[in-house]
Amino acid sequence: MKKMKVISPILMEVSWVPCSPLRRVRIGPIKVRYRMLLLVFRLSFLSFFPSLSLSQHFAPTRTKPHHRISVSLNLKQRKQREEKRRMMMKLDTSGLESFSAAVPSAMATAEDQLFAPPSFDLPAGCADFDKFQMEAKQTLKHAKGTTTLAFIFNQGVIVAADSRASMGGYISSQSVKKIIEINPYMLGTMAGGAADCQFWHRNLGIKCRLHELANKRRISVTGASKLLANILYSYRGMGLSIGTMIAGWDEKGPGLYYVDSEGGRLKGNRFSVGSGSPYAYGVLDNGYRPDMTVDEAHELARRAIYHATFRDGASGGVVSVYHVGPNGWKKLSGDDVSELHYKYYPVQPTPVEHEMVDAPPA
Amino acid sequence: MSIFEYNGSALVAMVGKNCFAIASDRRLGVQLQTVATDFQRVFKIHDRLYIGLSGLATDAQTMYQKLVFRHKLYQLREERDMKPQTFASLVSALLYEKRFGPFFCQPVIAGLGDNDEPFICTMDCLGAKELAKDFVVSGTASESLYGACESMYKPDMEPEELFETISQALLSSVDRDCLSGWGGYVLLVYAALLTPTEVQEKILKGRMD
Repeated sequence: MKKMKVISPILMEVSWVPCSPLRRVRIGPIKVRYRMLLLVFRLSFLSFFPSLSLSQHFAPTRTKPHHRISVSLNLKQRKQREEKRRMMMKLDTSGLESFSAAVPSAMATAEDQLFAPPSFDLPAGCADFDKFQMEAKQTLKHAKGTTTLAFIFNQGVIVAADSRASMGGYISSQSVKKIIEINPYMLGTMAGGAADCQFWHRNLGIKCRLHELANKRRISVTGASKLLANILYSYRGMGLSIGTMIAGWDEKGPGLYYVDSEGGRLKGNRFSVGSGSPYAYGVLDNGYRPDMTVDEAHELARRAIYHATFRDGASGGVVSVYHVGPNGWKKLSGDDVSELHYKYYPVQPTPVEHEMVDAPPA
Repeated sequence: MSIFEYNGSALVAMVGKNCFAIASDRRLGVQLQTVATDFQRVFKIHDRLYIGLSGLATDAQTMYQKLVFRHKLYQLREERDMKPQTFASLVSALLYEKRFGPFFCQPVIAGLGDNDEPFICTMDCLGAKELAKDFVVSGTASESLYGACESMYKPDMEPEELFETISQALLSSVDRDCLSGWGGYVLLVYAALLTPTEVQEKILKGRMD
């Protein structure tokens, strides 16, 4: 038998293996079949290069496709894939559906592609999409720097808010509309992310209108707040930042609900949301009576927001006060907070200390 | 929020014709909550030298007390007041002494030197001096203040005009900052020819939100 020195099986593997795998070979005192040697060296080789897949050696399989969210030309396939993804992620994307879906499919397919949701590759080098998403959420975290309040009394609901938008320490705007008119008899307040609040309130307005058309009667405040709360619950953990109050007047009378992006929904008589809310609660709880007149309630709300803007750095600008009555909402006032301060606490001429006077003539 | 933004502050000093003005806001806060609206940030060292300290309020007060102590010793030894340039060097040295555990305050020094020449300078929290001929700013509203001062400043302003300019610059800048404002305090010092230096202190009516 021809004796073969087994010096470097690796090199032999790269070139052509000269002997049959079944042949017994000798390394020092050990006698093994050649294929055993090859296996040992392949495994040790791979331990240094773990990226090489073993599948290359055993059975050639198709590697997994890159994780892509893409649009295929086939509409049916795309819808199926979306459905599957939607079920997996449990998102309620009915609010984001393009309106061409509601339109009969007789419309041209070209338009459909126009309205198709944009597709994008994941960022390059993004091995862990979940971690990337978490980091993105952190950068958008807002501290709900604002003061909004709402309360129910005999004559309806009063809703009031400041108008400052701040980014950390910088005031980005002093004239933000924080009371959003969902429809002529319902109001929503904005606290948290401005974009989130604006979009989802408008979306809620659309849903309320669709409800009206489908059921031939207005939606109740209970129903509207439930719609919003359910949508926000399905986006829980995705980084939305919304702390809103839905106030309105329906068949049961005045209604007030607090809804937030964690999915919470509370029914109540008095709420205040935002970084200035502790200060507003102090004034509001002190002066509240269920049997106030509209003017008294108006003044109470204005005072509460003013005190919050004085103490809280992230609130300020203009106090807007709205009243929701049986015939819908009406804006009562929009006062600059600084002018209110000098109205409530006019500057007293203080006695001057250490005033220099001429020495009396001797 | 960083430690410099814990209390919130705004300081500016400007040079005019044989006069200078130093102005600050009056808010003391604990992050977003306002605790006081009459907090003093500009302190007198002697008749012709004032220092404003922005940043962490406790460090500002401690720095001021240490500086007064050092200046009183200087007065005993030298039998005269310190010149602003010397004082600036003293502040810088004191701050650098704490290089690896600094005071979290940024001083603004303004004074009248020899021949009634106005002198202003600012420093970072480690004592790097920045001498300027026109204006210096410090505090959480410093970026807005830079913009406002740059556009409103003119060289060789008379005292009344200087007072107007510095007040407007301060008020418009703190209106863009959540952490400073709630009124303003302006101190104007000018060396008149015949009478000794005159000092005017004014409190500004600003936005209280």
